[in-house]
Amino acid sequence: MEANPDGTGRPPACDLCGRPGVYLDRIQNRHLCSDHFVGDVEGRVNHTIQKYVMVQPGDRLAVALSGGKDSTVLLHLLRRLLPDADLAAVTVDEGIDGYRDATLRSAGATTRGLGIEHQTLSFLDLYGKTLDEILKGQPDRACSICGILRRKALNTIARRAGASKLVTGHNLDDEAQSVLMNWLRGDRERVLRRPEENGGHGFIPRVKPLREIPEKEVALYGILKGLFVELPECPYMHSALRGEVRGILTTLERGHPGTMRRVVEGQVRLSRQLSSIPRASRPLRACERCGDPTTARLCQACRLFDPEGGPGTLVSPER
Amino acid sequence: MKIHLQDGTARTFEGGPATVSRVLLSLGVNPVEVIASRDGKVIPEDTFLGPDDEIRIIRVSHGG
Ligand SMILES: [Zn+2]
Ligand SMILES: [Zn+2]
Repeated sequence: MEANPDGTGRPPACDLCGRPGVYLDRIQNRHLCSDHFVGDVEGRVNHTIQKYVMVQPGDRLAVALSGGKDSTVLLHLLRRLLPDADLAAVTVDEGIDGYRDATLRSAGATTRGLGIEHQTLSFLDLYGKTLDEILKGQPDRACSICGILRRKALNTIARRAGASKLVTGHNLDDEAQSVLMNWLRGDRERVLRRPEENGGHGFIPRVKPLREIPEKEVALYGILKGLFVELPECPYMHSALRGEVRGILTTLERGHPGTMRRVVEGQVRLSRQLSSIPRASRPLRACERCGDPTTARLCQACRLFDPEGGPGTLVSPER
Repeated sequence: MKIHLQDGTARTFEGGPATVSRVLLSLGVNPVEVIASRDGKVIPEDTFLGPDDEIRIIRVSHGG
């Protein structure tokens, strides 16, 4: 269906009100104007929050705010959709020179503008080193090391903020990528994990209100609401697999609209139907170094810094 | 028509009236990954562009 084939150049009209469209929803094959697009996104995020019972009475929500577009949009949406919710923003400063300063400033401006309390925890405070220092000599492992350390840092700061839930800005594209990556790696535990189990053993439960909103729609919402800020890219090489999987998925989405949604929805159904399959449930114990819950002697983060070395530690880089 | 990319460079597209999508695909850009605007207003990807139009491309890729 080609719009205005007369070549007038006007944007196709909103299917709901006739005003100029800003977005073509290729799944429902309809155009939406700015107001109807914004309302549509808000309605769907609200629906996701209800459907997965992401917020319950008495919850205190720690919103992981990196300062980037997804988490900035998330915080605005939560304030708007849940005006009475107990919200706190939490930011992890990994210590990445030339990158984090701009995003930290953006995060600070966002929380001041919304009047939401804001706490920051740095790798330097938590681990005694910045990510730049930690990664010296092994920048190729940046994403996996940063991921482990950030997960612990977010959990720590959410706990310090007294939160009952940790809310993250993962969008539909992120979720579809993760589903595919779990299959490509043959990661049985993650394939079987239901969305409700997202916090992982002993960690503050994590919820993702944007998990059904495509990345393009999150970005467009941010632009239309005047929240979009141009920020520097993280200087470290991103996981090669995730980048390739992203390209594959956006190519498929182009040719077959709705692919990412079907991947994620299919995974949710599958994981629920397979919930009776026994997992490798090793008993939980306290990490000998930091006390966080873990199934091994040391938690993943502390294992990275284990002076006795061993596979995967920072002391003996091997991968 | 002229297409301003996010890195500050610009490209031109010759070839008569075409939709935003067609122009993007001719530049090797997947429309799923970008948002296009004209005269400061976001436009749907199936908007027809005229020969004098200038569009601006914003990549929506992950910022963390
Ligand atoms: Zn409308
Ligand atoms: Zn530990």
